[in-house]
Amino acid sequence: MFRRVLIANRGEIACRIAATLHEMGIQSLGVHSDADAGAMHTRVCDASVRIGPAEARQSYLDIDAVVAAARDHGADAVHPGFGFLAENAAFAEAVEAAGLTFIGPTPQQIRDMGDKRAARRIAEQAGMPIVPGAEGDDIDALAAAARTIGYPVMVKAALGGGGKGMKPCADEAELREAVESAQRVARSAFGDASVYLEKLVTHARHIEVQVLGDGHGSAVHLYERECSLQRRHQKVFEEAPSPAVTAEQRAAMCAAAVRLAETVDYRGAGTIEMLLAPDGRFHFLEMNTRLQVEHPVTELVTGVDLVRAQLHVAMHGDLPFEQSALHRHGVAIEARVYAEDAAHGFLPQAGTAMRVRWPHGPFVRVDRGLEAGDAVPVHYDPMLAKVIAFGASREAALARLAGALDATRIHGVITNLPFLRALARDPRVAAAAFDTEWIEREFLAGFEALVQAPAPDLALAAAAIAESLGTAAPSSGPAAGGTAPVAPDPFTALGRWRLPGGAS
Amino acid sequence: MKSLWRDGERQREVELTALGDGRYRVRVDEATFDLHAAVMPDGRMQLSHDSGSTVAEVTAVGTRRFVRVGTLEFVLDRESAARRRSGAGAGGGLEAPMPGVVTRVLVIVGDVVEKGQPLMALEAMKMEHLIRAPRAGRIARLAAATGQMVQGGATLAELEE
Repeated sequence: MFRRVLIANRGEIACRIAATLHEMGIQSLGVHSDADAGAMHTRVCDASVRIGPAEARQSYLDIDAVVAAARDHGADAVHPGFGFLAENAAFAEAVEAAGLTFIGPTPQQIRDMGDKRAARRIAEQAGMPIVPGAEGDDIDALAAAARTIGYPVMVKAALGGGGKGMKPCADEAELREAVESAQRVARSAFGDASVYLEKLVTHARHIEVQVLGDGHGSAVHLYERECSLQRRHQKVFEEAPSPAVTAEQRAAMCAAAVRLAETVDYRGAGTIEMLLAPDGRFHFLEMNTRLQVEHPVTELVTGVDLVRAQLHVAMHGDLPFEQSALHRHGVAIEARVYAEDAAHGFLPQAGTAMRVRWPHGPFVRVDRGLEAGDAVPVHYDPMLAKVIAFGASREAALARLAGALDATRIHGVITNLPFLRALARDPRVAAAAFDTEWIEREFLAGFEALVQAPAPDLALAAAAIAESLGTAAPSSGPAAGGTAPVAPDPFTALGRWRLPGGAS
Repeated sequence: MKSLWRDGERQREVELTALGDGRYRVRVDEATFDLHAAVMPDGRMQLSHDSGSTVAEVTAVGTRRFVRVGTLEFVLDRESAARRRSGAGAGGGLEAPMPGVVTRVLVIVGDVVEKGQPLMALEAMKMEHLIRAPRAGRIARLAAATGQMVQGGATLAELEE
């Protein structure tokens, strides 16, 4: 049994992991950069350690700083969350070299699956269909391969993920520009400029299967998620189950995912992403060796706490349940709330969230990393929270999600909430008639017209009356231009630690 | 009291006349109507009109106003002097659309560029954004160098005809 676990992350996922640790009676140790001093995740963790300045490279991405924090503050294990060091094999190695448990797969599994070219070969060996592709650093060779495969193709960073550095190309001129840009982004984001290309499967749906492996050759699946609602390869809505797959397709995809996980003796939670082509065939896309952003929809339909399951595998080296014990019911849909200006090209936003109200009520879950008065720093991914709704049917879940998004209010930082609200009420979303390109191909133009319409007279009247009454300043939280609350001194905070094991 | 507001690309004008007891005569552009405003303890306002009432909430951040009316939300900017939020190409300058790091500068001072030609690459949140020329012209000045961190709205370059 772990006594203290360091969460090597920030924001909503750090808060979500801390919640399960707390429930299990395990102490949570957070980490923070200077930009996150006093941030919500440092408040919900039992204590938090400063690991460096705002720049992620010198804090959340600094392996030595994170491992030192874990070792010096008595953590037994490290949970990486997602993003940052979650899929960094050197980090997993450094954690293990310090005598601590890495809550995740082995360094070798991270390395194999992190190199998307190696992952394709492994998937192929495990009998999973893959999309035709080519690899190499020579742009002329890639161009020649693309001619053979046929345009359009997709250029991807070999060590990438999350859509970073990914570009579709319709012809050779676009390919050359995309390869150069992807190499640059890949070098800067992942420290390796390698890229590869794949035939672009158009009108495809993105389906992924959640797996959990014991590290000794046994694995189970927790059904699929559909994440086809994307904008620039970034998921916007995710749901479970997929409204598009048949029972036969589901069985085939889940079985293939388990076979792949078992082939590599996969340890912990992982996700096998696939493309479902319009012809009904599925293809391996990549395997993510971590907890996914969208894991809550799986949790809601299966009743399984995936973080608890990860901890179980890490502590005991076996699976907490057998496949036959896993069932699902109902539908869960998640919407990602970002600090992005959807009305102006989705540019990332920063600032102070002066007034924040999250939705609540039955069958609504909000995984959040932000409360009123909190800063949204410019340095990190702008995802603030996930609003997740559950229903007995897809129709019920979607209606509940729309209501929950309406009830959400974030003032002080511009968010993508108007975009999410419009999506939740779109008839095409209700009909599940979309693919991974649908938002950009068909939805965005109408949305832009909508947000460019004049604000109603009443909104202008409200702004003017608030100004004359002086009610536009928030009733709580810092004044305009103020700073976030001061961080508690980590060593003072340590004094408040619960001491499980009867030592209180 | 008259006030000017920026609503996306539009400028809107509001004239407010207090009638006492929380009642106002409001003119928004061409439309005139009466409203009653009651401030709730949490700072929200209940706005009543002949046809019903709704709850509004306004949060000020500098000149920006976050306005929620019922479940609809809007972002307005209070216009003080003649200062307008400049979009790319509004003046001679080219502004950073967001905070980030300049990863590449693709032109030098004196270069003649075409409309749409990439001038710089800006990286933020691991995404690379190409800054393109809003129109044809000549690079009169470069205000950012490779590796430089820039704030949103910072001038990156100046274009002359």
